[in-house]
Amino acid sequence: MSNIIKTVDVTDSLENLSEFCDIENGRISGKIFSDKAIYEQELEKIFARCWLFVAHESQIPKTGDYITTTMGEDEVIVVRQKDGGIKVFLNACPHRGNKVCFAESGSTRGFICNYHGWSFNTAGNLVGQHESGIYEASDFDKSKWGLKEVAQVDSWKGLVFATFDPEAPTLKEYLGPMTWYLDALFDNQEGGTEFAGGCIRSTYECNWKIAAENFVGDILHAGWTHDSAARAMLGGAVAKVSDFEESYSVNWNGHGYEFALDTVGNVAVLGESALNKYVHTIKPSVAERLGEFRSNMVASVSSCTIFPNFSFLAGQNTIRVWQPRGPNKIELFSWVLVNKSAPDDIKEKWRKGAMMTFSPTGVFEMDDGENWEYCTKTSKGKVTGAQDLYIGLGMNTLERQTDLPGNVYKGQLNEANARAYYQHWYDHLNAKSWSEIPDRNVGKAEVE
Amino acid sequence: MANQTETQVELRPVSMEQHHKVSCFLAREYRLLDEEKFDEWLALMHEDVHYWMPGIENRRRENLLEHGFYASDHMAYFDDKLRDLQRRVARFQQPSAWAENPGTRNVHQVSNIEVYYGETDGEYLVHSVFQSVRSRGMDEEYVIYGRRTDVLVEEGGSFKLKKRLILIPNATLSCKNINTFL
Repeated sequence: MSNIIKTVDVTDSLENLSEFCDIENGRISGKIFSDKAIYEQELEKIFARCWLFVAHESQIPKTGDYITTTMGEDEVIVVRQKDGGIKVFLNACPHRGNKVCFAESGSTRGFICNYHGWSFNTAGNLVGQHESGIYEASDFDKSKWGLKEVAQVDSWKGLVFATFDPEAPTLKEYLGPMTWYLDALFDNQEGGTEFAGGCIRSTYECNWKIAAENFVGDILHAGWTHDSAARAMLGGAVAKVSDFEESYSVNWNGHGYEFALDTVGNVAVLGESALNKYVHTIKPSVAERLGEFRSNMVASVSSCTIFPNFSFLAGQNTIRVWQPRGPNKIELFSWVLVNKSAPDDIKEKWRKGAMMTFSPTGVFEMDDGENWEYCTKTSKGKVTGAQDLYIGLGMNTLERQTDLPGNVYKGQLNEANARAYYQHWYDHLNAKSWSEIPDRNVGKAEVE
Repeated sequence: MANQTETQVELRPVSMEQHHKVSCFLAREYRLLDEEKFDEWLALMHEDVHYWMPGIENRRRENLLEHGFYASDHMAYFDDKLRDLQRRVARFQQPSAWAENPGTRNVHQVSNIEVYYGETDGEYLVHSVFQSVRSRGMDEEYVIYGRRTDVLVEEGGSFKLKKRLILIPNATLSCKNINTFL
């Protein structure tokens, strides 16, 4: 176990944090988007603590297949093991700290540091060095100097998550009843899902929470922000969300999923009728597998964020991580998800459709980027950043009588998920360990 | 090696006059984009145009993809047919394209132009290098450099763009979007 990473020391929480995040009164402050001290606390109390998305299993199908990514600002390698398992290592040599894997993906028998030739197998064990004789003369114990392995790795329906914190709850506990909703996209067909090849990375001058919060529960912006894109792709305005008879905002431990039950509202904006048809074609089998309710969610008007920074849109099938790079900068890693069992031409249409809508050239994403960057930039003003921001829509919409799992709120035009997200963010920043994080869930933890 | 842009057929350079005509076409195409004359720009596209800008992946030499650093079935920035280009233009032209008002100021530059006869009569294979500078707001500036390989078709004394391959060197785009054509 000596190759397990050291956990970072937890420093004291910021004293005045409640001034910037007062969820009960529907109020946050722009300061949380630009303050350096808050950002340092986030790296330590959120990104070094929470479960973070690192890969989809389909990206590394065979022994020795790897991808590199980051957990917070820490670089990691995700590699498939001989026994079929997955290990996640810090992408840094334990000798002088140089990066050991420079490629974003590939297949290998091991990793060799360019500096002094320390060589590691895919299990992370140190297996050799340049001039190995001199190490022996120094009574060097190879077994103690492997690649540093993260504390926990686990997956849910192909989504691989990892955490630096050995004290973190299990992934299943962490996700809680959100898994029931995740399955509408990630387990709606036999065989599950896969990523299309590649990963598009882009850079925003915005705070990571602005983007994550947008996906946790802000469909409100779509009808306004994305009017131009909808008109370009559909020849008319986006569906008016307030017209939906039934829609929900559901959250748990800061995760949030807002959705309508219109089956194809999200996929429709890709402007490919064959994709709408595919969703309708599989719908009866989805209903058989997951029940009628979730068969309406496969590609409906919806969005989701798993706390802290993993987001997706069912229907557009864009999957993304908002990687923090300082208080005012993110790298967006994005992928395209498809059902493994889908015909090739359907997979191809999704690959292109996600690109046309939600990518750096996507007609929808262009208007998002502008908004998120300027929400962040204005908060840098000493006075502007100190002002209150309103986050109070749908204060009294909790559904107490429902069979649905999670904390269920009526209507997706609702800031309930955003409030739960920031509340959970606040709770982490105020807690020295997991045990100090209050359980604010009020809904059902399990589904019958 | 990686990012090959040339086919293995023997390349036959065109005459100086033909080279000049192609150069003028490429310069005019970029001026139309800088002046936001998108309909005129679309009119330069062949009806079967394939406008492709693949994502660039940072891979080791022993793990290269179909075309080195990119592959035809992997994620892309553009992988468009005419309908897709028309949809992108349609967004730029909506009054509700909020992020385009105030507008983006563009300067597109093209150089290193090589022109060869194409695989069939009336087709030309054109290599070039481009630079796209965009400025938005008071101080945003984004520069994208890259290489292109075009197939142009001569029609009625002018050209239509039938294929464009756009390769940037970056595996991570250093800005939030590409709200232009390259």
